[in-house]
Amino acid sequence: MASMDVPAGRVATGKRTAAHAGPKLNAISWLALALMTTSSVASLRAAPTMAVYGLACVFLYLIPALVFLLPTSLVSAELASGWSGGVYRWVAEGLSKPLGFLAVWCQFAMTIFYYPSLLAYVASTFAYVIDPSLATHGLYTAIVIITLYWLGVFVSARGTKTVAGLSSMGLIIGTLIPGLILVVLGFVFLGQGNPSAAPMDSDHILPPWTGLASLVLIVNNFLSYSGMEMNAVHVSSLKKPATEFPKAMFTAMGLVLLIFILPALAISWVVPSSSLSLTAGVMQAFDAFFAYFNVDWLTPVLGIMLIAASLGGMLTWLAGPSKGLLTVAREEGYLPPFLQRLNKHGVQQNILITQGVVTTGIALLYAFIPDVSSAYWIFSVITTQVYLIVYLLMFVAAMRLRRTKPDHPRGFRVPALNVVCIVGLLASAAALVIGFVPPSQFGSGSLWSYLVIVGGGLFIVGLLVPYLFYKFRKPHWKQPDTEWKAGVGTSTEGEAQA
Amino acid sequence: MNTKAPHPKAHHAQGEDIDHAEHVDTGIMSRRWIYIGSAVLLVAILVTGIIAYSGVHKTNEANNKANELRSALAAAGLPQPDKDLIVRTLGTDGGAVCEDPGQALRNGADRVGLANGAAGPGQRPIIGSARIVEAERIVLQTYCPDKVDDFDDEISDLKFDDVVKQ
Repeated sequence: MASMDVPAGRVATGKRTAAHAGPKLNAISWLALALMTTSSVASLRAAPTMAVYGLACVFLYLIPALVFLLPTSLVSAELASGWSGGVYRWVAEGLSKPLGFLAVWCQFAMTIFYYPSLLAYVASTFAYVIDPSLATHGLYTAIVIITLYWLGVFVSARGTKTVAGLSSMGLIIGTLIPGLILVVLGFVFLGQGNPSAAPMDSDHILPPWTGLASLVLIVNNFLSYSGMEMNAVHVSSLKKPATEFPKAMFTAMGLVLLIFILPALAISWVVPSSSLSLTAGVMQAFDAFFAYFNVDWLTPVLGIMLIAASLGGMLTWLAGPSKGLLTVAREEGYLPPFLQRLNKHGVQQNILITQGVVTTGIALLYAFIPDVSSAYWIFSVITTQVYLIVYLLMFVAAMRLRRTKPDHPRGFRVPALNVVCIVGLLASAAALVIGFVPPSQFGSGSLWSYLVIVGGGLFIVGLLVPYLFYKFRKPHWKQPDTEWKAGVGTSTEGEAQA
Repeated sequence: MNTKAPHPKAHHAQGEDIDHAEHVDTGIMSRRWIYIGSAVLLVAILVTGIIAYSGVHKTNEANNKANELRSALAAAGLPQPDKDLIVRTLGTDGGAVCEDPGQALRNGADRVGLANGAAGPGQRPIIGSARIVEAERIVLQTYCPDKVDDFDDEISDLKFDDVVKQ
């Protein structure tokens, strides 16, 4: 992966730039982008967890879909059909460049703590298949996390098209096919005249109301859909961004809903919730499902398929936010030149490698230090809090852009944009507030110490670090490249005008 | 003679096109190898997984344990899964449920997994249902009573609420 100090988008020969060759060399179809987006957000991993709620899982996915999935998808479809470059460009155009940097930083930073937990899940799934005792071995877990992460970096460094291909395959093999199998088997179960294990009557449409715990459950589920906007950074890789991106978003939205709801329902029909609880884990729940049909051999197959889906999803997260960070780094000089270097495929390899070094360190701590692994859940609270800043900024920017640049060409316009944005804004703000309510894992600890940990983490990762990058930026770190900017900035607009 | 010399720019463009085409070919080849490599790797781990995976076998002991578990669940007021289902998932030794329940990595993974319905980076802890641990504790008591203390240590500081309708 030799790196070169070349403008983003420039290819191996150094003679072509993003404006000319980039979109043609790395062009991806709208369907590939839809599958990438779906892969970033949805998989079967959550199905057994949600199956415990029975019919109420539909409510727990649909309400968040209305107030969060729909606004984020519609708004990012409008913004990406008018401006390339993803969340940085939208917020920079709508609010200011420093806030644009904050948005893309938050989107990037939250992924750093995500990879170790995702890959630890991959390690435990594989261990379940080959030898469950491995799952508790730190060395095994560390080797799996580090090897897979760096393989992911290697693949991501080959360019958007490679990532699109592999993540699409991961989604099809690891989510769509097994999801379909689960749903078909679920219907077979009901078709055989068996009563559903979970009651499917009107009394069970809603989850029980227990006050704060129910509110935490419902509002935290908004975040199930986080990441829908992330792949907008690849919009200039589409041949007709203005029309194809909205199409990709709507397809992804439908797929995400189907993947989340139907397999969870199918599992709840077959496996009683007490059994889901007692089997304590994603794979055991699938095991119980397949055991009913006497097809236990499908359990290891499904395990490997889930691994494929997880790795496909990881690739999209490696390729997306770091690309957005690169855009702002080059245009505004917010990151040192070392981090702006690209490889021959035009990929931000030094950002990926630096992120990899940090991830490796975190993975080692996670695998070998019991206190870190036991408390790792707290990072998922902090990083989701950080991510919500992106959404707050995105919705405000969208409203402002509609007001300040109403005539800017957009391939798609959201009807009643302000209403949609306010719904999304309130949902994001509610999720941010609920993030300060201690979950089960915090037990009987002091509320104040929880507020300090989460608030402190949010402040450091989401505000202090980007502020330091901003404060210590150097004018000569900018790498002005008109062709790169033109490539990023005009492809969508030109097409929208056409 | 009125022959036209090739325009330097046209020549340059032609060379550029050749470079461009070469790069496209290299890119396609490289991508093809990555796809092939990924497919081979996936098939290899799939075969390894199928060979290594040892499902539980139906034995008298497994049947007895399943009956014992059903009685214990009934006594605790919890629904009882089908006996064959229990036999197939827990066998005679409790399977993965009894695999070091108090160990730090398992503990960490369980705590990360006690979360909302997200499958991506939106995964975030919630206030879960006590049923999640009640039934697991009964499984441990039935299949691996020596692990119950470790499990109790692990869950002693968790708080729960009734967010699942009975």
